Amino acid sequence: MRSATRIGIVMGAALLAAAPVWAHHAFAAEFDGKKPVKLEGTVTKMEWINPHAWIHIDVKDADGKVTNWMVECGTPNTLLRRGVNKNSVTAGMAIVVDGYQAKDGSNRANGRDVTFPDGKKVFLGNTGTGAPGDAPEK
Amino acid sequence: MKLQCALVSVLAASMCAGQGLTAKKAWTPLRTANGQPDLQGVWTNATITPLERPADLAAKPFFTPSEAAAYEKQVVENANVDRRRSDVTTDVGLAYNEAWWDRGTHVVKTLRTSLIVDPADGKLPALTPEGERRAVALAERRRLHPADGPEDRGLTERCILWPTAGPPMMPSVYNNNYQIFQGPEYVAIMVEMIHDVRIIPLDTRPHLPSGVRQWLGDSRGHWEGNTLVVDTTNFTDKTKFRGSSENLHLTERFTRTDPDTILYEYTVNDPATWTKPWTAQITMTKSASRVYEYACHEGNYGMMGILAGARAEETSSANAGAK
Repeated sequence: MRSATRIGIVMGAALLAAAPVWAHHAFAAEFDGKKPVKLEGTVTKMEWINPHAWIHIDVKDADGKVTNWMVECGTPNTLLRRGVNKNSVTAGMAIVVDGYQAKDGSNRANGRDVTFPDGKKVFLGNTGTGAPGDAPEK
Repeated sequence: MKLQCALVSVLAASMCAGQGLTAKKAWTPLRTANGQPDLQGVWTNATITPLERPADLAAKPFFTPSEAAAYEKQVVENANVDRRRSDVTTDVGLAYNEAWWDRGTHVVKTLRTSLIVDPADGKLPALTPEGERRAVALAERRRLHPADGPEDRGLTERCILWPTAGPPMMPSVYNNNYQIFQGPEYVAIMVEMIHDVRIIPLDTRPHLPSGVRQWLGDSRGHWEGNTLVVDTTNFTDKTKFRGSSENLHLTERFTRTDPDTILYEYTVNDPATWTKPWTAQITMTKSASRVYEYACHEGNYGMMGILAGARAEETSSANAGAK
């Protein structure tokens, strides 16, 4: 009984501790929740810059017109410590970005969900993503 | 693991008794070439222990080792999920999901349930009326002028200061890395987050005149036994550590308690903001990592995006009003 109570206490605290926190800036100030986008494109380059890295992709629409988009990522230091490096995202790689467009309507989006050709969602917090404490992907 | 648990018990027991960690331990601190206790190297203060004790742990200042392990497991598992939300504003914010964070997976080595050790309830003391008034005024200012210009945005977005980078140094969402350098007359602390270096003179020179204000304040250090004590004043009125005033008087204590641990403690004394002083304690762990550059101004497209977004919203509102 005593140990069950203890675990209950611990679990309650865990839920509190996992409340959302903001990073370098609040994404909601930059991107528009009313403008969800799904971009299927080809990487043209990845900018490894602070405070956030950016992936640039060419997206072709139904008419064949190509538009270049910028997708905001996390901080380079953390990416590197997670094992993501310059060889992970390279020009020519096909990716799918599920995110939200910039409030000013320009071709910038946040990477709510970035999927790579092998189907691996490297940047999402699901299991198998390399998130902290995550089990290795099977 | 057994050794770790045993160590933790010793740490916890000695802290319970309100005694310094070093007094209980046989370990003799390493010394620098000039005989100072050696704090040098790269350290991380990443931890999931919250600043304030959660309400459901109110009567529990310490975990047992097994409780700590269960807590860590729960926190990590709970955070490591796709938090897609139907509320799009929240969903946009949560796009910055767990894979981006690097906030650690462990509680502090003392197994405390909060970083705050004084007051004993692990909670921040109440704000003074002046502290409350200042907080309300700031919130109102931000509501009325969210993004007229870059000056309206927070110091983090402007790449000026990270609120946890110190002093005092607090665990944050990522880049929780510090490198300490010691010379005979100075200690320097390089902070990865926004890449600041704090220079701490060890002589007895007085603080700067009160009219001279600095983002990181003005630090003076001295040794008390094996503990480096750093006294900091002369903050700016914009530094605002958790809403503090420019007259915040901060005292930090660094004690290396074993080869891999610095017990870092700070006391916040700011009668203009809190009704009494408060103290927090964090264990810093020796890191095999290196401190990477975090040149925040390098490509701060986010600021441009936020201001452009604010202008677009104004135009949209004006057009809607004209119809």
